[in-house]
Amino acid sequence: MSTQGQILAGFLAPHPPHLVYGENPPQNEPRSRGGWENLRWAYERARRSLERLKPDVLLVHSPHWMTQVGHHFLGVRHLAGKSVDPIFPNLFRYNFELEVDVELAEACCAEAREVGLVGKMMRNPNFRVDYGTITTLHMIRPQWDIPVVGISANNSPYYLSTEEGLEEMDRLGKATRRAIEKLGRRAVLLASNTLCHWHFHEEPEIPEDMSREHPQNYEGYLWDMRIIELLRQGKTREVFELLPTFIQEAFAEVKSGAFTWMFSAMGYPELPGELHGYGTVIGTGNAVMEWDLTARA
Amino acid sequence: MPLVAAMLVPGSPLPMLRPDNPPWQPLVQGFAQARERLAASQPEVLLLYSTQWIAVLDQLWQTRAHLQGLHVDENWYEFGDLPFDLRVDTALAEACVEGTRALGVNAKGVDYDGFPLDTGTIVACRMLDPEGRLPIVLAANNLYHDWAQTKRLGAMAAEQAERAGKRYAVIGIGGLSGTVFRHEISIEDDHFATPADDALNQQLFAALARGNESGLEAECAAYAGAARADMGLKHLAFVLGAMGNRGFGTEVLGYGPVWGSGAAVIDFTGAGLAQGI
Repeated sequence: MSTQGQILAGFLAPHPPHLVYGENPPQNEPRSRGGWENLRWAYERARRSLERLKPDVLLVHSPHWMTQVGHHFLGVRHLAGKSVDPIFPNLFRYNFELEVDVELAEACCAEAREVGLVGKMMRNPNFRVDYGTITTLHMIRPQWDIPVVGISANNSPYYLSTEEGLEEMDRLGKATRRAIEKLGRRAVLLASNTLCHWHFHEEPEIPEDMSREHPQNYEGYLWDMRIIELLRQGKTREVFELLPTFIQEAFAEVKSGAFTWMFSAMGYPELPGELHGYGTVIGTGNAVMEWDLTARA
Repeated sequence: MPLVAAMLVPGSPLPMLRPDNPPWQPLVQGFAQARERLAASQPEVLLLYSTQWIAVLDQLWQTRAHLQGLHVDENWYEFGDLPFDLRVDTALAEACVEGTRALGVNAKGVDYDGFPLDTGTIVACRMLDPEGRLPIVLAANNLYHDWAQTKRLGAMAAEQAERAGKRYAVIGIGGLSGTVFRHEISIEDDHFATPADDALNQQLFAALARGNESGLEAECAAYAGAARADMGLKHLAFVLGAMGNRGFGTEVLGYGPVWGSGAAVIDFTGAGLAQGI
C-alpha cells in the first residue's frame, strides 16, 4: 500500500462477556435467553457503521491483557483456541480464531519504542487471547473477517499514578497513528473500556434476568451521563480535563488506558460522538460510541 | 487429622522456566528443599491459595476433578509454556464452598473445561509435586477480601480438611516486595529493585521466625504497605488462618529477586505441625 494510511473511526467498545452470552453465537458454549438488549442493539448499529467504513484492520486495546513490562502486541499471524472468562466462566467459553496484522503490529511496536515506551511483540503461538479483546471484536465484527492488532494494557496507571499511566497511553496512541499512516492502512480503533465500573458483588440466579439489572451506583450513573453528554457534544478537551476525577469517583475502567490511547491516536478531535447505546452490565456503565473521522473530512 | 506442612512459595514462572539463571537459583534450590520436606510430611491433600487467581464476585474454589492443559503466561510468554496435569480433591473443595457460605461469604465451585488456571498455581504444583501425585484444593483471591477475611477462609479450609480426616498441607502462593523493573533486563543481572525492599523482606523474615506473636499481623500490615507487597500478602493471611493458634517458627529455604521483586520459599516449622506418619 503506497498511500498514507488513516484512522477512519474510533469506537468506545466495552467488553462485558454478558453481551456475547446474550447473543448466543455458535462460538460460545453457554446458552442464554437473551438479555442486555439495549447494548447488543447498540453494537448492531456500530456493526453497520463498521461495514460502511470497510477498514483494513481493527486495533483493540484491552484491559484484560494486563502487562507489567511495557506495551505488548499480538505478533502471531493466526491465533486460535478457547477463551474462558476467569470471572464469568458460566457465561463466556468462546472458541476464537483470528488473524493478526503482524506487519502493522510490528510497526506500532517499533513506533512505541521510538517515543520511549517499552514495546514487545508476543510471538508465542499458544497464547490465549484475553476475553476483553475477544468480546469487543466479536461484538463489533462477528464475522471475524478483518485482521486485528491486539494491544495489551500496561499496568502503569495502577502501578504508577493515573496521570503518569495515561501519559504513556497518550504516547502509545500517537505511535499507533504514525504506524498506521506509514503502512497505509485504513484502520478502526476499538477502546475496550467500560465507564463507571462499580459493580454488584452477586450475580442473579438467572444472569440474563433484566429485572435485576440497573446502575450499581447513582453517583456513578450521573458521572456516566455527564461524560457521555460531553462526548456527544464533541467537548473532548473538557472530558480529558475531567478524566482523572471521573476515574477516581466512578472507579471508571477508562483508567486502564484504552480510551486515552484511542483519542490520542485520533488527535483528540472536538467531534461529536455518536452514541449507539448505553446500558449497565452487573451494574457497570457501558456506552457504545463512535467517532467517524471520515465524516469530518 | 493433622496439618503436616505449611509453606509460602512464589508464583512467578521465571525461576522454574530458567532454573540455571544465577539470581534465580536460590529460589529453585529452595523449592527443591521444600519439595523434599513436603514429601516427608506425607500430606494427602494440598490446600492452595494463589494471589494470581483473581476473583471479584464470589469466593471461587476449583471443583473440576482433573485439570489438564497448556497455559501461557500473559507477561512471560517468551520464556516458555506451562503444561499442567492436576487432580482436585473435589469433595473437600465442595466442602470449602459450603464452608465459605457458612461464613456468610458468597461462594461458587468452578468446574469448566478450559478454565484459565493461574500461573502461580501451576508453578507451585510443578515445583512442589512435579509428578502431580497429590490432590489439591484451590482457592481464588477475591480482590474485595481483606486480610481478616482471607485468614478466616484459611481457617475454614483447614477445618474442612480436618473434618474430612485428611493429612493436609497449606501453601500460600505469592510474592513479597512488589516493586518490579518496568523495562527489559538481562536476567543474569536481576537484583532487588531497591536495597530498601531487600531490608524490608529481611524484616518480614525475622518477624515470621519469631512465630505466632501478637505483633506479627501488625508487622505484616506495615510491611505490606512499605514494600508494595503482592496483594497485601494475603497468601500469608490464608496460611496463618490455617495455622490457627499453633505455635510455629519459619525457615527461609530460598530467597531472591524476580525481575526486581522479592520472592522466597518459606517453610513453617515447629511443634504445631504434625510429624510424618
